[in-house]
Amino acid sequence: MAPPRTYRCEAITLSHTPLGEADLLVTMYTRDQGKVRAVGKGARRSTSKLMGHLEPLTIVKLSLAHGRNMDVISQAEVVDGFATLKGDLTAIAKGQYLAELVGGFGAEESANPGLFQLMIDTLRAVAANPQSDTPLRFFELHLLQVSGLSPELYQCVECRVELEPGAHRFSPNVGGTLCLECSPDDAHLRPLSLRALKILRHFDRSNIYEACNIAIDDELAEELKSLLLTTVSYWLGKEIRSNSFLERLHNESLSEV
Amino acid sequence: MTQDNVPGAAPSLSRLVQELNRLPGIGPKSAQRLAYYIIRLPDEEATALADAVTAAKQNIIFCEHCQNLTDASPCSICSDPRRDQTIVCVVEEPLDILALERTRSYRGLYHVLHGVISPINGIGPDQIKLKELFSRLAQPDLVELVVATNPTLEGEATAMYIRRHQGREDLRVTHLARGLPVGGSLEYSDETTLSRAFQGRQEL
Ligand SMILES: [Zn+2]
Ligand SMILES: [Zn+2]
Repeated sequence: MAPPRTYRCEAITLSHTPLGEADLLVTMYTRDQGKVRAVGKGARRSTSKLMGHLEPLTIVKLSLAHGRNMDVISQAEVVDGFATLKGDLTAIAKGQYLAELVGGFGAEESANPGLFQLMIDTLRAVAANPQSDTPLRFFELHLLQVSGLSPELYQCVECRVELEPGAHRFSPNVGGTLCLECSPDDAHLRPLSLRALKILRHFDRSNIYEACNIAIDDELAEELKSLLLTTVSYWLGKEIRSNSFLERLHNESLSEV
Repeated sequence: MTQDNVPGAAPSLSRLVQELNRLPGIGPKSAQRLAYYIIRLPDEEATALADAVTAAKQNIIFCEHCQNLTDASPCSICSDPRRDQTIVCVVEEPLDILALERTRSYRGLYHVLHGVISPINGIGPDQIKLKELFSRLAQPDLVELVVATNPTLEGEATAMYIRRHQGREDLRVTHLARGLPVGGSLEYSDETTLSRAFQGRQEL
Protein backbone atom coordinates (compact mmCIF):
# COMPACT_ATOMS: atom_id res chain seq x y z
CA MET A 1 0.00 0.00 0.00
CA ALA A 2 1.34 3.43 -0.96
CA PRO A 3 1.93 5.82 1.93
CA PRO A 4 -0.77 8.48 2.27
CA ARG A 5 0.01 11.63 0.32
CA THR A 6 0.59 14.63 2.56
CA TYR A 7 0.38 18.30 1.80
CA ARG A 8 0.97 21.59 3.58
CA CYS A 9 -1.30 24.58 3.58
CA GLU A 10 -2.01 27.88 5.25
CA ALA A 11 -5.51 28.27 6.61
CA ILE A 12 -7.79 30.36 8.77
CA THR A 13 -9.85 28.12 11.05
CA LEU A 14 -13.59 28.86 10.98
CA SER A 15 -15.22 26.43 13.40
CA HIS A 16 -14.93 22.97 14.85
CA THR A 17 -17.12 20.26 16.28
CA PRO A 18 -16.19 17.31 18.50
CA LEU A 19 -15.87 14.01 16.69
CA GLY A 20 -15.76 10.64 18.44
CA GLU A 21 -13.99 10.33 21.80
CA ALA A 22 -11.25 12.91 21.42
CA ASP A 23 -11.09 14.05 17.79
CA LEU A 24 -11.98 17.41 16.38
CA LEU A 25 -13.60 18.05 12.99
CA VAL A 26 -12.18 21.39 11.86
CA THR A 27 -13.66 23.58 9.14
CA MET A 28 -11.13 26.00 7.71
CA TYR A 29 -10.54 28.22 4.74
CA THR A 30 -7.20 27.66 3.05
CA ARG A 31 -5.34 29.97 0.73
CA ASP A 32 -4.76 27.33 -1.95
CA GLN A 33 -7.56 24.73 -1.62
CA GLY A 34 -10.58 26.78 -0.60
CA LYS A 35 -12.75 25.37 2.16
CA VAL A 36 -11.37 22.22 3.80
CA ARG A 37 -12.83 20.01 6.50
CA ALA A 38 -10.23 17.90 8.24
CA VAL A 39 -9.87 15.77 11.35
CA GLY A 40 -7.52 16.57 14.23
CA LYS A 41 -6.94 13.11 15.74
CA GLY A 42 -6.97 13.26 19.54
CA ALA A 43 -7.00 17.08 19.35
CA ARG A 44 -9.36 17.37 22.34
CA ARG A 45 -6.92 15.64 24.70
CA SER A 46 -5.11 18.16 26.86
CA THR A 47 -1.79 16.52 26.01
CA SER A 48 -2.31 16.60 22.24
CA LYS A 49 0.26 18.65 20.36
CA LEU A 50 -2.65 19.98 18.28
CA MET A 51 -4.42 21.28 21.41
CA GLY A 52 -5.12 25.00 21.18
CA HIS A 53 -3.78 25.32 17.63
CA LEU A 54 -7.12 24.65 15.96
CA GLU A 55 -9.40 27.09 17.80
CA PRO A 56 -11.61 29.10 15.45
CA LEU A 57 -10.17 32.34 14.06
CA THR A 58 -6.54 31.26 14.03
CA ILE A 59 -4.17 31.47 11.07
CA VAL A 60 -2.32 28.15 11.00
CA LYS A 61 0.22 26.37 8.86
CA LEU A 62 -0.87 22.75 8.61
CA SER A 63 0.43 19.44 7.38
CA LEU A 64 -2.40 17.24 6.21
CA ALA A 65 -2.61 13.66 5.00
CA HIS A 66 -5.25 12.61 2.51
CA GLY A 67 -7.54 10.18 4.29
CA ARG A 68 -10.19 7.77 3.01
CA ASN A 69 -13.10 10.02 3.94
CA MET A 70 -11.52 13.17 5.24
CA ASP A 71 -8.05 14.64 5.42
CA VAL A 72 -6.19 14.26 8.69
CA ILE A 73 -4.21 17.05 10.33
CA SER A 74 -0.77 15.76 11.30
CA GLN A 75 0.87 19.04 12.36
CA ALA A 76 -0.27 22.56 13.15
CA GLU A 77 1.70 25.71 13.75
CA VAL A 78 0.03 28.97 14.76
CA VAL A 79 0.91 31.96 12.58
CA ASP A 80 -1.52 34.39 14.22
CA GLY A 81 -3.99 33.56 16.99
CA PHE A 82 -5.64 37.04 16.95
CA ALA A 83 -5.12 37.34 20.72
CA THR A 84 -6.28 40.98 20.81
CA LEU A 85 -9.50 40.19 18.97
CA LYS A 86 -10.18 37.28 21.33
CA GLY A 87 -9.97 39.56 24.34
CA ASP A 88 -13.11 41.47 23.30
CA LEU A 89 -16.59 39.97 23.24
CA THR A 90 -17.90 42.16 20.40
CA ALA A 91 -14.81 41.46 18.31
CA ILE A 92 -15.23 37.71 18.84
CA ALA A 93 -18.88 37.92 17.78
CA LYS A 94 -17.83 39.80 14.64
CA GLY A 95 -15.15 37.22 13.92
CA GLN A 96 -17.75 34.44 14.24
CA TYR A 97 -20.01 36.33 11.83
CA LEU A 98 -17.17 36.59 9.28
CA ALA A 99 -16.41 32.89 9.76
CA GLU A 100 -20.01 31.93 9.05
CA LEU A 101 -20.00 33.95 5.82
CA VAL A 102 -16.63 32.61 4.64
CA GLY A 103 -17.88 29.09 5.38
CA GLY A 104 -21.09 29.82 3.48
CA PHE A 105 -19.60 31.48 0.40
CA GLY A 106 -16.30 29.57 0.23
CA ALA A 107 -16.40 26.39 -1.84
CA GLU A 108 -14.50 23.17 -1.28
CA GLU A 109 -11.71 22.28 -3.73
CA SER A 110 -11.89 25.71 -5.29
CA ALA A 111 -9.14 28.16 -4.35
CA ASN A 112 -10.06 31.78 -3.83
CA PRO A 113 -6.99 33.55 -2.40
CA GLY A 114 -8.88 36.86 -2.53
CA LEU A 115 -11.46 35.55 -0.06
CA PHE A 116 -8.71 34.17 2.21
CA GLN A 117 -6.94 37.53 2.27
CA LEU A 118 -10.23 39.43 2.75
CA MET A 119 -11.01 37.36 5.84
CA ILE A 120 -7.60 38.02 7.37
CA ASP A 121 -7.59 41.75 6.56
CA THR A 122 -11.08 42.10 8.05
CA LEU A 123 -10.17 40.23 11.25
CA ARG A 124 -7.21 42.61 11.69
CA ALA A 125 -9.45 45.65 11.12
CA VAL A 126 -11.99 44.31 13.64
CA ALA A 127 -9.22 43.72 16.20
CA ALA A 128 -7.96 47.30 15.66
CA ASN A 129 -11.40 48.80 16.33
CA PRO A 130 -13.91 46.29 17.75
CA GLN A 131 -16.70 48.85 18.10
CA SER A 132 -16.73 49.96 14.45
CA ASP A 133 -19.04 48.13 12.05
CA THR A 134 -17.26 49.53 8.98
CA PRO A 135 -14.95 46.49 8.59
CA LEU A 136 -18.04 44.24 8.36
CA ARG A 137 -19.66 46.42 5.70
CA PHE A 138 -16.42 46.50 3.68
CA PHE A 139 -16.18 42.73 4.07
CA GLU A 140 -19.75 42.15 2.85
CA LEU A 141 -19.28 44.20 -0.33
CA HIS A 142 -15.92 42.62 -1.13
CA LEU A 143 -17.23 39.14 -0.24
CA LEU A 144 -19.78 39.58 -3.03
CA GLN A 145 -17.04 40.81 -5.37
CA VAL A 146 -14.54 37.99 -4.76
CA SER A 147 -17.45 35.52 -5.09
CA GLY A 148 -18.28 36.86 -8.57
CA LEU A 149 -21.48 38.54 -7.34
CA SER A 150 -20.37 42.18 -7.53
CA PRO A 151 -23.34 44.49 -7.29
CA GLU A 152 -23.46 47.25 -9.92
CA LEU A 153 -22.77 50.66 -8.34
CA TYR A 154 -22.28 53.01 -11.30
CA GLN A 155 -25.08 52.41 -13.82
CA CYS A 156 -28.70 51.35 -13.83
CA VAL A 157 -28.60 47.54 -14.19
CA GLU A 158 -31.68 47.68 -16.48
CA CYS A 159 -31.23 50.62 -18.90
CA ARG A 160 -27.46 51.09 -18.39
CA VAL A 161 -27.75 54.85 -17.92
CA GLU A 162 -24.95 56.39 -15.80
CA LEU A 163 -26.39 57.29 -12.40
CA GLU A 164 -26.57 61.04 -11.77
CA PRO A 165 -26.12 62.37 -8.22
CA GLY A 166 -29.46 61.92 -6.48
CA ALA A 167 -31.62 59.30 -4.87
CA HIS A 168 -31.61 55.86 -6.53
CA ARG A 169 -32.78 52.39 -5.80
CA PHE A 170 -30.96 49.16 -5.14
CA SER A 171 -32.05 45.63 -5.81
CA PRO A 172 -30.21 42.75 -4.13
CA ASN A 173 -31.59 40.16 -6.56
CA VAL A 174 -31.22 41.86 -9.95
CA GLY A 175 -27.65 42.88 -9.22
CA GLY A 176 -27.33 46.42 -7.90
CA THR A 177 -28.34 50.00 -8.58
CA LEU A 178 -31.40 51.08 -10.57
CA CYS A 179 -32.51 54.46 -11.85
CA LEU A 180 -35.90 55.77 -10.72
CA GLU A 181 -37.57 54.88 -14.04
CA CYS A 182 -36.71 51.19 -14.24
CA SER A 183 -38.62 48.53 -12.31
CA PRO A 184 -37.73 45.09 -13.65
CA ASP A 185 -40.20 42.32 -12.86
CA ASP A 186 -39.64 40.59 -9.52
CA ALA A 187 -36.85 42.98 -8.49
CA HIS A 188 -36.82 43.51 -4.73
CA LEU A 189 -36.42 47.27 -4.75
CA ARG A 190 -35.03 49.31 -1.87
CA PRO A 191 -34.41 53.02 -1.69
CA LEU A 192 -30.71 53.99 -1.84
CA SER A 193 -29.54 57.36 -0.57
CA LEU A 194 -26.81 59.24 -2.39
CA ARG A 195 -24.71 59.16 0.79
CA ALA A 196 -24.91 55.38 0.96
CA LEU A 197 -24.07 55.04 -2.74
CA LYS A 198 -20.98 57.20 -2.25
CA ILE A 199 -19.80 55.04 0.63
CA LEU A 200 -20.32 51.85 -1.38
CA ARG A 201 -18.29 53.31 -4.26
CA HIS A 202 -15.60 54.38 -1.81
CA PHE A 203 -15.48 50.81 -0.39
CA ASP A 204 -15.33 49.48 -3.94
CA ARG A 205 -12.24 51.52 -4.80
CA SER A 206 -10.37 51.35 -1.47
CA ASN A 207 -8.51 48.88 0.63
CA ILE A 208 -9.90 48.12 4.08
CA TYR A 209 -7.62 50.59 5.88
CA GLU A 210 -8.75 53.50 3.70
CA ALA A 211 -12.38 52.37 3.99
CA CYS A 212 -12.21 52.27 7.80
CA ASN A 213 -10.87 55.81 8.01
CA ILE A 214 -14.09 57.37 6.81
CA ALA A 215 -16.63 58.66 9.34
CA ILE A 216 -20.10 57.11 9.04
CA ASP A 217 -22.95 58.39 11.20
CA ASP A 218 -25.50 56.04 12.81
CA GLU A 219 -28.27 56.60 10.27
CA LEU A 220 -25.98 55.93 7.32
CA ALA A 221 -24.50 52.91 9.13
CA GLU A 222 -28.01 51.45 9.55
CA GLU A 223 -28.83 51.97 5.85
CA LEU A 224 -25.60 50.29 4.73
CA LYS A 225 -26.06 47.41 7.17
CA SER A 226 -29.61 46.73 6.06
CA LEU A 227 -28.72 46.91 2.36
CA LEU A 228 -25.60 44.75 2.51
CA LEU A 229 -27.05 42.20 4.95
CA THR A 230 -30.11 41.74 2.75
CA THR A 231 -27.92 41.27 -0.32
CA VAL A 232 -25.52 38.86 1.35
CA SER A 233 -28.26 36.70 2.89
CA TYR A 234 -30.10 36.72 -0.47
CA TRP A 235 -27.05 35.16 -2.14
CA LEU A 236 -26.35 32.89 0.81
CA GLY A 237 -29.90 31.58 0.43
CA LYS A 238 -30.50 31.53 4.18
CA GLU A 239 -30.41 33.69 7.26
CA ILE A 240 -27.01 34.50 8.74
CA ARG A 241 -27.33 32.82 12.13
CA SER A 242 -24.53 34.55 13.96
CA ASN A 243 -26.01 37.95 13.16
CA SER A 244 -28.65 37.71 15.89
CA PHE A 245 -26.05 37.61 18.68
CA LEU A 246 -24.19 40.50 17.03
CA GLU A 247 -27.44 42.50 16.89
CA ARG A 248 -28.11 41.71 20.54
CA LEU A 249 -24.69 43.04 21.60
CA HIS A 250 -25.24 46.08 19.39
CA ASN A 251 -28.63 46.86 20.95
CA GLU A 252 -27.25 46.36 24.46
CA SER A 253 -24.44 48.82 23.77
CA LEU A 254 -27.00 51.38 22.55
CA SER A 255 -29.09 51.01 25.71
CA GLU A 256 -26.02 51.51 27.94
CA VAL A 257 -25.26 54.97 26.50
CA MET B 1 -26.99 6.24 7.60
CA THR B 2 -30.03 4.27 6.54
CA GLN B 3 -30.12 0.56 7.05
CA ASP B 4 -33.63 0.13 5.72
CA ASN B 5 -32.76 -1.48 2.43
CA VAL B 6 -29.86 -3.65 3.50
CA PRO B 7 -30.74 -7.15 2.34
CA GLY B 8 -30.61 -9.69 5.15
CA ALA B 9 -30.97 -7.16 7.99
CA ALA B 10 -34.18 -7.59 9.99
CA PRO B 11 -36.12 -4.30 10.18
CA SER B 12 -36.24 -4.21 14.01
CA LEU B 13 -32.48 -4.81 14.17
CA SER B 14 -31.90 -2.04 11.63
CA ARG B 15 -33.98 0.28 13.77
CA LEU B 16 -31.83 -0.45 16.82
CA VAL B 17 -28.65 0.16 14.79
CA GLN B 18 -30.04 3.47 13.57
CA GLU B 19 -30.96 4.63 17.06
CA LEU B 20 -27.53 3.71 18.44
CA ASN B 21 -25.87 5.44 15.49
CA ARG B 22 -27.47 8.72 16.62
CA LEU B 23 -25.52 8.66 19.90
CA PRO B 24 -22.46 10.93 20.10
CA GLY B 25 -19.22 9.13 19.27
CA ILE B 26 -21.00 6.04 17.90
CA GLY B 27 -20.31 5.47 14.22
CA PRO B 28 -22.19 3.00 12.00
CA LYS B 29 -19.70 0.19 12.72
CA SER B 30 -19.89 0.61 16.49
CA ALA B 31 -23.67 0.89 16.29
CA GLN B 32 -23.82 -2.47 14.51
CA ARG B 33 -21.50 -4.11 17.03
CA LEU B 34 -23.54 -2.77 19.95
CA ALA B 35 -26.84 -3.80 18.37
CA TYR B 36 -25.67 -7.39 17.87
CA TYR B 37 -24.33 -7.43 21.42
CA ILE B 38 -27.66 -6.25 22.81
CA ILE B 39 -29.61 -8.80 20.77
CA ARG B 40 -27.48 -11.61 22.23
CA LEU B 41 -27.98 -10.43 25.84
CA PRO B 42 -30.20 -12.55 28.12
CA ASP B 43 -33.75 -11.16 28.09
CA GLU B 44 -33.58 -9.73 31.62
CA GLU B 45 -30.34 -7.81 30.90
CA ALA B 46 -31.72 -6.28 27.73
CA THR B 47 -34.92 -5.33 29.57
CA ALA B 48 -32.88 -3.79 32.41
CA LEU B 49 -31.04 -1.63 29.85
CA ALA B 50 -34.29 -0.50 28.22
CA ASP B 51 -35.83 0.19 31.66
CA ALA B 52 -32.79 2.23 32.72
CA VAL B 53 -33.14 4.42 29.61
CA THR B 54 -36.87 4.94 30.22
CA ALA B 55 -36.49 5.57 33.97
CA ALA B 56 -33.63 8.05 33.50
CA LYS B 57 -35.65 9.89 30.88
CA GLN B 58 -38.73 10.01 33.14
CA ASN B 59 -37.10 10.81 36.49
CA ILE B 60 -34.24 13.15 35.64
CA ILE B 61 -35.08 16.81 36.10
CA PHE B 62 -33.13 20.06 36.33
CA CYS B 63 -32.18 21.12 39.87
CA GLU B 64 -34.13 24.32 40.54
CA HIS B 65 -30.98 26.08 41.83
CA CYS B 66 -27.96 24.84 39.88
CA GLN B 67 -29.71 23.36 36.80
CA ASN B 68 -27.70 20.14 37.13
CA LEU B 69 -29.49 16.93 36.20
CA THR B 70 -30.94 15.28 39.29
CA ASP B 71 -33.56 12.79 40.52
CA ALA B 72 -34.83 15.27 43.12
CA SER B 73 -34.65 19.04 43.31
CA PRO B 74 -32.72 20.64 45.00
CA CYS B 75 -29.93 18.25 44.07
CA SER B 76 -27.60 16.57 46.58
CA ILE B 77 -24.96 19.32 46.25
CA CYS B 78 -27.37 22.25 46.59
CA SER B 79 -29.05 20.67 49.62
CA ASP B 80 -25.77 19.78 51.39
CA PRO B 81 -25.35 22.19 54.37
CA ARG B 82 -21.58 21.54 54.45
CA ARG B 83 -21.10 23.16 51.02
CA ASP B 84 -19.94 26.77 50.99
CA GLN B 85 -23.03 28.80 50.04
CA THR B 86 -21.08 31.97 49.26
CA ILE B 87 -19.41 30.74 46.08
CA VAL B 88 -20.85 29.47 42.79
CA CYS B 89 -18.83 27.83 40.03
CA VAL B 90 -20.30 28.06 36.50
CA VAL B 91 -19.67 25.11 34.18
CA GLU B 92 -20.80 24.23 30.66
CA GLU B 93 -21.99 20.66 31.20
CA PRO B 94 -22.99 18.30 34.06
CA LEU B 95 -19.89 16.18 33.34
CA ASP B 96 -17.71 19.16 34.24
CA ILE B 97 -19.09 18.95 37.81
CA LEU B 98 -17.99 15.32 38.06
CA ALA B 99 -14.50 16.33 36.89
CA LEU B 100 -14.25 19.16 39.42
CA GLU B 101 -15.68 17.02 42.26
CA ARG B 102 -12.99 14.40 41.60
CA THR B 103 -10.35 17.01 42.50
CA ARG B 104 -11.89 17.38 46.01
CA SER B 105 -10.50 20.92 46.06
CA TYR B 106 -13.75 22.82 45.67
CA ARG B 107 -16.51 22.90 48.30
CA GLY B 108 -18.86 25.56 46.93
CA LEU B 109 -21.95 25.35 44.75
CA TYR B 110 -22.28 24.99 40.99
CA HIS B 111 -24.32 26.30 38.08
CA VAL B 112 -24.66 24.31 34.85
CA LEU B 113 -25.23 26.31 31.65
CA HIS B 114 -25.95 23.27 29.45
CA GLY B 115 -23.94 24.70 26.60
CA VAL B 116 -22.10 27.83 25.54
CA ILE B 117 -23.05 30.82 23.43
CA SER B 118 -22.45 29.59 19.88
CA PRO B 119 -23.87 32.13 17.42
CA ILE B 120 -22.84 30.11 14.37
CA ASN B 121 -25.01 27.23 15.64
CA GLY B 122 -27.89 29.53 16.52
CA ILE B 123 -27.27 29.25 20.28
CA GLY B 124 -27.58 32.63 21.99
CA PRO B 125 -27.76 33.64 25.67
CA ASP B 126 -31.44 32.62 25.86
CA GLN B 127 -30.76 29.06 24.74
CA ILE B 128 -28.56 28.23 27.73
CA LYS B 129 -29.22 28.57 31.47
CA LEU B 130 -27.95 32.14 31.82
CA LYS B 131 -31.21 33.75 32.89
CA GLU B 132 -31.31 31.26 35.79
CA LEU B 133 -27.71 32.15 36.67
CA PHE B 134 -28.31 35.89 36.71
CA SER B 135 -31.39 35.56 38.90
CA ARG B 136 -29.37 33.44 41.36
CA LEU B 137 -26.69 36.12 41.59
CA ALA B 138 -29.17 38.48 43.25
CA GLN B 139 -28.68 36.59 46.53
CA PRO B 140 -26.58 38.95 48.66
CA ASP B 141 -24.76 36.19 50.60
CA LEU B 142 -23.05 35.15 47.39
CA VAL B 143 -19.58 36.69 47.26
CA GLU B 144 -17.72 34.90 44.45
CA LEU B 145 -18.55 33.60 41.02
CA VAL B 146 -15.97 31.25 39.48
CA VAL B 147 -16.46 31.04 35.73
CA ALA B 148 -15.15 27.62 34.71
CA THR B 149 -16.21 27.49 31.06
CA ASN B 150 -13.76 25.73 28.75
CA PRO B 151 -10.80 27.79 27.48
CA THR B 152 -12.16 27.62 23.93
CA LEU B 153 -13.25 30.58 21.81
CA GLU B 154 -16.92 29.99 22.62
CA GLY B 155 -16.22 29.21 26.28
CA GLU B 156 -14.23 32.44 26.65
CA ALA B 157 -16.91 34.46 24.84
CA THR B 158 -19.54 33.03 27.21
CA ALA B 159 -17.33 33.94 30.20
CA MET B 160 -16.99 37.52 28.93
CA TYR B 161 -20.74 37.72 28.42
CA ILE B 162 -21.32 36.58 32.03
CA ARG B 163 -18.81 39.10 33.38
CA ARG B 164 -20.45 41.91 31.40
CA HIS B 165 -24.01 41.01 32.42
CA GLN B 166 -23.76 39.76 35.98
CA GLY B 167 -24.83 43.17 37.27
CA ARG B 168 -23.35 43.20 40.79
CA GLU B 169 -20.44 45.50 41.51
CA ASP B 170 -19.63 43.82 44.83
CA LEU B 171 -19.36 40.32 43.35
CA ARG B 172 -15.91 38.83 42.90
CA VAL B 173 -15.78 37.20 39.44
CA THR B 174 -12.86 34.86 38.81
CA HIS B 175 -11.93 32.27 36.21
CA LEU B 176 -9.71 29.20 36.31
CA ALA B 177 -6.01 29.71 35.64
CA ARG B 178 -4.93 29.16 32.06
CA GLY B 179 -1.69 27.37 31.57
CA LEU B 180 0.24 24.32 30.54
CA PRO B 181 -1.46 20.96 30.85
CA VAL B 182 0.26 18.41 33.09
CA GLY B 183 2.19 16.12 30.75
CA GLY B 184 2.21 18.75 28.01
CA SER B 185 5.26 20.42 26.53
CA LEU B 186 6.39 23.99 25.83
CA GLU B 187 7.44 23.12 22.31
CA TYR B 188 3.99 22.07 21.21
CA SER B 189 2.02 24.69 23.15
CA ASP B 190 0.21 27.32 21.13
CA GLU B 191 1.16 30.97 21.63
CA THR B 192 -2.01 31.88 23.57
CA THR B 193 -1.53 29.09 26.12
CA LEU B 194 2.16 29.91 26.51
CA SER B 195 1.68 33.63 26.96
CA ARG B 196 -1.09 33.07 29.54
CA ALA B 197 1.04 30.50 31.36
CA PHE B 198 3.81 33.09 31.46
CA GLN B 199 1.49 35.77 32.83
CA GLY B 200 0.29 33.37 35.51
CA ARG B 201 3.78 32.30 36.66
CA GLN B 202 4.21 31.66 40.39
CA GLU B 203 7.00 31.54 43.01
CA LEU B 204 8.93 28.32 42.76
ZN1 LIG C 1 -32.81 52.47 -15.60
ZN1 LIG D 1 -28.45 21.80 42.48
